[in-house]
Parts: sequence; C-alpha cells; structure tokens
Amino acid sequence: MTDVSTDAGRVTVTPTEFNFVKFDADEIASLVAGLATMLEITNPIRVVIDETTPLAKLSEGLEGTSADSTIVLHAESGALEDRQHPTSFSATNSRESFGRILLRAKDRLRPDFADAPSDLDLSLEENAAWDTYCVGRLARLGVRVNQQRWRYNHRNRFGFHDGVDVAFDALWNADDLGWSAMLSTARG
Amino acid sequence: MRQFFPVEDLARDERFVQTNMAERMKDARTAIELKESSAKSRGATKRLTPERHDASDAARGLMHGIMVGEIQALEGAGRTAHDFAAGDGTNDTVPFELKLDMARQAWDEARHVEISAKLSDWMGTELGEFAENTVLFEAACSNDPILRLAGVNRALEGLAIDVFTQMKEFGDVAGDPYLEFCEDWMLADEVTHVKMGSDWLRKVTANDPDRRTKALEFQQVVDKLFSFGGARGESPESSFSLAKRFRELAGFTDDEVQTISEMDAEALAERRAAVLAYREKVGANAPA
Repeated sequence: MTDVSTDAGRVTVTPTEFNFVKFDADEIASLVAGLATMLEITNPIRVVIDETTPLAKLSEGLEGTSADSTIVLHAESGALEDRQHPTSFSATNSRESFGRILLRAKDRLRPDFADAPSDLDLSLEENAAWDTYCVGRLARLGVRVNQQRWRYNHRNRFGFHDGVDVAFDALWNADDLGWSAMLSTARG
Repeated sequence: MRQFFPVEDLARDERFVQTNMAERMKDARTAIELKESSAKSRGATKRLTPERHDASDAARGLMHGIMVGEIQALEGAGRTAHDFAAGDGTNDTVPFELKLDMARQAWDEARHVEISAKLSDWMGTELGEFAENTVLFEAACSNDPILRLAGVNRALEGLAIDVFTQMKEFGDVAGDPYLEFCEDWMLADEVTHVKMGSDWLRKVTANDPDRRTKALEFQQVVDKLFSFGGARGESPESSFSLAKRFRELAGFTDDEVQTISEMDAEALAERRAAVLAYREKVGANAPA
C-alpha cells in the first residue's frame, strides 16, 4: 500500500484507496494537516485507518522519544463517518475525532506526560478523563462538539452525581495540565 | 382517513434520514471478529456493557435506535387499530377488543417515544443523529392483521424486550439511575405488548391452522432480520442477548425461544461468511 502525502510530506494516510467506505485519503490528509496547524503541531503525522470495522476506536502514539517524533494516529472508520449516512465521510465528526487524538499526542510530547501509559494500556477512567480534557480544549478552539455526549461519557466512568459534574466542568475548562494534575482534576 | 400507509410516506422532519435493511446489509464492514482477537485491546468485547471501551457511544447509538423504533411501533400499532374493520377476525376484520389493545399500545409507544427522546438528550444525542432504519414499520405493512401481530408484536416487541433488558442492565452497572429506571418501566410495557400478540394470534387463528402457520413463518423471517446479522445472540460477538425469562412471561414457548436462539446463531454465521467473501473479493484486510 502506498501513502498519500500532503503539506510538504507532513501528513501521510493509509490506505490511499478505500474499498469499504466512501473516504478520500487526500481529504483526510488535508483535514489532519489543517487541524495540526490549528493546534500548533509541527511533527510529521502518519494516519492509519481501519476501514473494515464500523467501530470508532481511536488511538495515537509517538514513533520515538524526540520532540520531532512522528505522530501515529489510528482510527476505525466509524470515528470518521457520517452517522446519518454510514460509510460516508463526515468532516465534522473527523475534526472532533482527529482533534481529540492530536491533542493527546501533543500532550505526550510534554515532559509532565511522561508517566502516561500508552493508549491501549489506559484504564477506562484515564481514557475518559483525557477525552474530557481534550474535547474541552477543542471546543474552545471552535471545533463543533456536543458537550453533553462527553459529560455522559465522563459520568459513565466516574459516577452519576453532582461531584462528578463539578470535576467534569473543571477538567473541560482546564488548560496546561500535566498527566497527574489531569487525573486528580478528573477525580475531584 | 387513509388506510394501509406505505413506509415511504412516514412523516419525518428534516432532522431524520431514513435507511432500510437492504442498505444496511450493503455495508461490508463488521465489528464481528473474523479471527482470534488480540487480548490487548480496549475493544475486546462487543457485548454492550460499561466495560466496553466505547460504552457510552455504543449505548447512545442503541438508544437512538430504540427511539426511532418506538416512533415506528407507535405508527404500526396506530395503523393496525385503524386499518381493519371490527368483526370476528375473518375476512380482514379484527375483534374490536384487539383494536382496543392496539390503541392502548399506541398510547404506550407514544409515552416511550417521549421517554426515549429525553433519554437521548440526557446521553448527549441529537434527534436524528443516526440513520433511522425503517425495517420495523415495514413489518407492520402486511395486509393480514395476524401477520402484523406476528411480525410487530411478537418479533419486534420481542426484540425490544431483549434490548431493554440489556440497556436496563447497562444503566444498573454504570450507575445511571435514569436509564435503569426508564428501561425497566418500558420493559414492563413491552412484555405486555408481546403477550397481546401471542394471545391474539392464538385466539384469531384458533380455527385456521394454515393462517397460524403462515403467521409464525412470517415471524421467523422478521426475527431473523431483527437479529441484525448476529447483533443479538449468546456469542460475545453479539451486543445483546435473548431475554429468555421475559420472553417466557410474554407467552413464548421454550421451543420458540430455542428456535430464535438458533436463528440468531445462523444470522451471525451468515454475516461472518458474507464479510469474509467480500474481503476475499476486494483483497482487503484490517491494518496490522
């Protein structure tokens, strides 16, 4: 499989052609490049899409430990599709999905996120807390999100009571947290 | 007032986009594991439980499916109350008491629509966010009221029992008090609706074994469609299981429950075979 590259080779997308969904690799590369610029991320980015599943799991990681490491984003096709027209691409949903994991990757480049487990080793609570922290920042940057969706996700992991909602609001509105500070904010 | 309303004419505002089972089955993607799954994954189970990595989103999607299902169940029960004249059950008539039961069901479903819409809002879902599959109303379009009872009250409402049981358990384990409470109350109504279907099917066809056989065959076709390619079943690949105890309360015999369980397993195997065939055809695999 070959890759599609845009923005001076900064973003590559695999696969280049899709058999199961009506996605366009160039459009995805361009969208990710635009998000990276908005989030002030200058690292090279490799996007790998699993088009064989309608599920929506996302994960990210860094290839290497240097500040200019390549960011690798894994996305299942359900995270990028138009939920009213399954198998069709949704730029709105993709902006939220890629924005969320790009912010995670950016966090991982900070020394105070060195203790964060790799994506697939995160507990369900840690995963939800990081999602809340990322989506709140995305919302303030003007990316369209549904706060109630993320509040419900947060409640599912931390509990359905007022104290959890207060912690959610604090995390949603937070900036510049390290890994430990993020978790303690989430736990109230 | 117009009778025998086709599925294409269902009234929806611009928020809703409709699809059907044929379109859905064209989607060659699948969440079914086609080979031994890797243990190190946050998405190892497909069962809708809070342990699933995408639990809240999966529950939101299912809740939206329930909501549009309730709208169509309301429309179906309302049509059955109106489409047939009162009579002794022969010659396209239905007993007046059956019409009353359908009217009561329509009222229950209307309440369920409101509850489901509010639950969707609570869970962070916009009305119409997901495509609406019209398969439920299609089962309510038969010209024979007894086939409607078999397809809608026994197969569709039977599916509702399975789904509500799973969602109630999800709410219980996740600690979501509203979800658990609402699903429990709606589940009680669904058991009543299925019982109505079971009772009327037996009463109206008491002297017409051919009609009863035809109705039960139609129910099996609908049941298999409603297993959504194995979404319902005992396999860990399935999102929800057959709620055997509640089905028994609703008038299903042990043999009938066993038959549905076998059809669910068949549907899963057929879906898996179809997906493998498509992948072989296009030479595609999931990325490593």
